[in-house]
Amino acid sequence: MQKTWQRLSQQPQLQAPFRVREVVIDTIRGFFKTQDFLEVETPLLVQRPSTETFLDFFGSELRMAEGQRRPGFLTTSPEYAMKKILVAGFPRVFQVCKSFRNGEGRSPKHNPEFTILEWYRTQADYTDIMRDCEELMLELVAAVNEWRGEAVMPDVEPTLQYQGRTYHLNAPWPRLSVAEAFEQFAGIEVEELLDEVALPKRAATKGYQVTDATSWEQAYHQIFLNEVEPALTQFDRPVFLYDYPTSQAALSRRKADDPRFAERFELYLGGIELGNAFSELIDADEQEARLKADLELRRKEQRPPFELDTDFIEALRLGMPPTGGIAVGVDRLVMLLADVPSIKDTLFFPVEDVFDLE
Amino acid sequence: MATIKGGNITKGNYILFKGAPWLVTKTEFVSPGKGSAFTRAKLKNARTGASQEFTFKSTETIEELDVSSREMQFLYLDGSDAVFMDPRSYEQVSVPVDLLDGREGFLTPDITVYILFYNEAAIGVRLPASVKLKVTYAEDATAGNRVNAPKKPVTVETGLIVQAPLFIKVGDVISIETDGGQYQSRVNE
Repeated sequence: MQKTWQRLSQQPQLQAPFRVREVVIDTIRGFFKTQDFLEVETPLLVQRPSTETFLDFFGSELRMAEGQRRPGFLTTSPEYAMKKILVAGFPRVFQVCKSFRNGEGRSPKHNPEFTILEWYRTQADYTDIMRDCEELMLELVAAVNEWRGEAVMPDVEPTLQYQGRTYHLNAPWPRLSVAEAFEQFAGIEVEELLDEVALPKRAATKGYQVTDATSWEQAYHQIFLNEVEPALTQFDRPVFLYDYPTSQAALSRRKADDPRFAERFELYLGGIELGNAFSELIDADEQEARLKADLELRRKEQRPPFELDTDFIEALRLGMPPTGGIAVGVDRLVMLLADVPSIKDTLFFPVEDVFDLE
Repeated sequence: MATIKGGNITKGNYILFKGAPWLVTKTEFVSPGKGSAFTRAKLKNARTGASQEFTFKSTETIEELDVSSREMQFLYLDGSDAVFMDPRSYEQVSVPVDLLDGREGFLTPDITVYILFYNEAAIGVRLPASVKLKVTYAEDATAGNRVNAPKKPVTVETGLIVQAPLFIKVGDVISIETDGGQYQSRVNE
């Protein structure tokens, strides 16, 4: 199989996504800096990574000349560190950096090392982040069009052409709650959705493979991936899927009027998930309890254990203002804006070019 | 019957799903944010050729089909079927072209392939890793940047279009990978 650099040398037209990548990253920086966000850098190598139950980590070890040894992990997201910076007194921060996830399979939308954009706004919640997404996307499309030499038409409705389809980008974008989506696309009412016994049963009657070992989470995702997410590909506009069952939102604030759900949204375009946002959980006790529960679940699933980042809990205890924040997959954004089918087309060295894989 | 885990199914597997035989034509890893891992598979019904997508849990147990294979020769395309013959028994079988998944462009008369059977019914074709096809149309190479060895589209005898190096001319025989359709080399005989 040819390496990307070899294909690029033979087919110069494949260079375009790499130019688009530069335009995208420059535009992201401009977008946040003009709004008085501070660009920050946080460690990619840490002793205590986030507690995400289902994420696999790249692990290494820190060795000091004096003989001390500590476990070291590559971060799956810079979230904890960025929140500590908010507590330190910076009200708006953003970062574009690498993040790492191990144990993932082949997919045109995954690479073990990928570029992530995160931003956090204090005195804000997830609806403010929705507006940021709309504005940022419009600016990105305008910047890429300008780079392509296309005239900017102020009166024309902004669109994105992706893989033969046209997406309409004029804001506000449709918002659909998880409960509404399950009802519309899977015929499941909210009480049944949230019931730990009823949902796996319903999954079984729908024909999914359900055993005694099937958890609520597995049934939820099986239905979500087979019935809800495919329905989202039918939208010709970006969609905010919002208000997730609280168990699916470890770092977000519960809804004041319905604590069964948490203020989390995911942004979808053409069925592709582009970002994951929260009204951040700022209650130190609840955060500590949820992270400990995550670690306990990790232990049950027999995944490698690690320590709780108590420094993060202490930061929350000192006081984090109400905050909205989001993580966005930059490679996927570039893929969409460059109109290529895979993030591998936007990476000079996708994992297949770096590691000998079959 | 052999089983396979949802996380391990790959393109080319034949599986039993909702009581019907299916060919897996594409798989993709999916991780829904804060959840366990899944595999999204594109499936082609091995009887009808109809396609559908399904997302399996990585831990799910899937039955693999007990598929047998026989060496046969390609005879001709007959509307929506490809017709093959067993060179020993002269028995003929038809396979819906839909089940070839676009690979019918690699079939030349008398090419030897493996026909896959499930419960006596022909459900698919296994092609050799590469095939040799004659170029029937190619534009003259333009004076381009030869150091970078760009490619051009050429048409082969079956109507298939392949990206080939600039030096390939009409009448050349070229070797093409059947998985992906990439040009491999010129093999003039």
